[in-house]
Amino acid sequence: MKFALVAALASLLAASPALAQSPAIPPAGDIVPREITWLASRPSDGPVLSTVRQIADEYAAQHPGFKLDIVETPDRPSYLQKLETLAAARQLPEFFDTDATPFADKLRQQGLMVDTAALLDSYGLTDQFRPVALNYDRFGDGSLYLIPLEFGMEVFWYNKAMFEAAGVTPPATLDDLPALCPKLAATGVLPIALDGVDGWPPQRMIAWYPFRLSGADYLDKLKRGEAKLSDPIGVKTTQWLASFASNGCLAKDFSAQGYTDARDQFTQGKAAIYYMGTWETEAMINEASQAEAVRGKIDYFTLPLTADETTGANEFFVNSGIGMAVGSTTFDPLVYDFVKYMLTRYSELYANTGALSPMTYTPEKLPNDAPLYAKIVAEIPKLGSLYAVPWDTQLDPKSNTVMQQQLTLLLQGNITAEQFQQAVDAAIAENAPRFFK
Amino acid sequence: MLSYRSRIAVFVFLTPPLLAYFVAVVLPIFQSLYLSLFEWDGIFDPVFVGLGNYVKMFTADPSFWGSLGRSLVYVAITLVFQLGVALLIANLLTYATRGREIIKTLVVLPAIVSTVAIALLFRRLYSFDPPGLINQVLSLVGLEGLSRAWLSDLGTVLTAVSVPEGWRFFGIYMLILYGGLLAVPRDLEEAAKLDGATEWQIFRYVRFPYLRPVWITTAIMATTNALRGFDIPYLLTNGGPGESSELLTTYMYKTAFAHTEFGYASALSVAIVLECLIAVGLILFMVRKRGFTV
Repeated sequence: MKFALVAALASLLAASPALAQSPAIPPAGDIVPREITWLASRPSDGPVLSTVRQIADEYAAQHPGFKLDIVETPDRPSYLQKLETLAAARQLPEFFDTDATPFADKLRQQGLMVDTAALLDSYGLTDQFRPVALNYDRFGDGSLYLIPLEFGMEVFWYNKAMFEAAGVTPPATLDDLPALCPKLAATGVLPIALDGVDGWPPQRMIAWYPFRLSGADYLDKLKRGEAKLSDPIGVKTTQWLASFASNGCLAKDFSAQGYTDARDQFTQGKAAIYYMGTWETEAMINEASQAEAVRGKIDYFTLPLTADETTGANEFFVNSGIGMAVGSTTFDPLVYDFVKYMLTRYSELYANTGALSPMTYTPEKLPNDAPLYAKIVAEIPKLGSLYAVPWDTQLDPKSNTVMQQQLTLLLQGNITAEQFQQAVDAAIAENAPRFFK
Repeated sequence: MLSYRSRIAVFVFLTPPLLAYFVAVVLPIFQSLYLSLFEWDGIFDPVFVGLGNYVKMFTADPSFWGSLGRSLVYVAITLVFQLGVALLIANLLTYATRGREIIKTLVVLPAIVSTVAIALLFRRLYSFDPPGLINQVLSLVGLEGLSRAWLSDLGTVLTAVSVPEGWRFFGIYMLILYGGLLAVPRDLEEAAKLDGATEWQIFRYVRFPYLRPVWITTAIMATTNALRGFDIPYLLTNGGPGESSELLTTYMYKTAFAHTEFGYASALSVAIVLECLIAVGLILFMVRKRGFTV
């Protein structure tokens, strides 16, 4: 099957039309209702898709003949396969999900995405978005070709009772984090639950130390091959990561644990710490789905500091999730009008689901009265202006794969920090020049 | 010599499947061959690099050679089940007087279960915490020391992803071999028995020579299928940890759809086709060298 897919792409070689032009905003002409498509990589029953479905139904009632077909592929590798195949065939739909990755940047350069900065300006909605949410979706040159539909902070959820039993407190510094593990493990619990099947959760760990020491600077240089993991920041980071293996922080089979496995380890009272975004708040406050010993025991702490940090305690991973791109080849008055209607309605409807909104709208009454939820909502206005970005959206794809593969081995204790540095530095040196000219 | 009407009939009935075969099999191979001569990311115009992708593959890509080696180990483990265990059970089944149909149904059952379900099943079987069936059994018989994270341990993961593939289809091959064994003339076996041959001697000198053409065909089918194995390893470990369960097929997939190197991925797919052809050629070569006919 995979062979046939690659072969099918070969036939597209001859079929690629000339470069598409960036469309005018707003597009000229009348609104002609038709079916439009959104290639989405989000949970089917999540608040984003359920909110947009509701809005699309409203819009369809006002515009007979309109229909939004949402093609859902939550599994990210499968989704990317579809997206890349459609992009190669120049068959991108009206909307598609992507991060501001090097691949998406190529789509932008080919004029296949609508300039959403101009789009939001034309609607007069730019000011209604949280600046951090918009900035997360920007490409390296500051341009914006995505619309954020989510907002979340990444925090360390922890079990207060387990910490108390082990006689430990939330770590003040990053060095304190792996040092907690032996004490927690001695009480019979897994110190840190981690999804190792997906590459990105372990990859968050490698981003923490460099962010605290240099903000975005080190990653920006590393991805271009202008900095190395064998530089002082990289050495400090990788040696620190190696200590997670030597201190027994992670499950022996974490590389085979999936997203829900890791979350369940925490909510079912087997693990003491679980690093994940506030999009998992529902799982943390819904006591009915938790083991009895966990109920009422969950709290969170944010990214610990370091001795020489350049970032503030209120600056850490804050992001707006995968963004929604508007395809330029099918951009017409209908798409323009629907996006305007969608964004006008989205803010209120989405915020009332209890999810954190990328827009500044706040419901008069919080949709959830859990103290943990209120604490998270109260955290948002205190956020700093700098935020960490996921490395998997910044590195070139090949180097990213190598880093994720080697990181698993480093965290399992199969390779040393030096071997990790060498493997990843070599991959970046070989592959980065093709993406960052 | 066929009559005119017969020739027309042959033409009419043979053309559609041949056309379908050409479109579905031959054409994609040649398209891949063509694309493998380019460097192409799917977005910008392809750049002709001649044999550059093949030069890189053979001389500058340790991941290719590593994946190839692991693919061969994967095939070997799969064949143990699909040729070895399948032959053993097929042979034993000929002696069974009761429950033959139930056993045949049970061993074929995994072949109709979806790949995703099989991957989930084996992920649970191999689980370390909570202990899966394998680690539980080891504990029960006092072999806790052998318990491990089968899918995370670099020493066991390749075997762990190979076993489900072998287990999944061994029932199909068992049925084929069983059918072959049923065709062995009973009078020959009875004559051998009268001459005092043991059951092993009967198998070796009577049954297996009769079975050999079926066994060779089965070997070719099982080998080429195993060389194309992708889904279970991909779902169980995605080639990890590191590259310790990365096969040529999963490496090709990542090269195409994670790294967006479609030209190089095509070169890898051509290598997979060559690998299958070489494997079939080797099997036939060994068979003919020993003077057997298929």
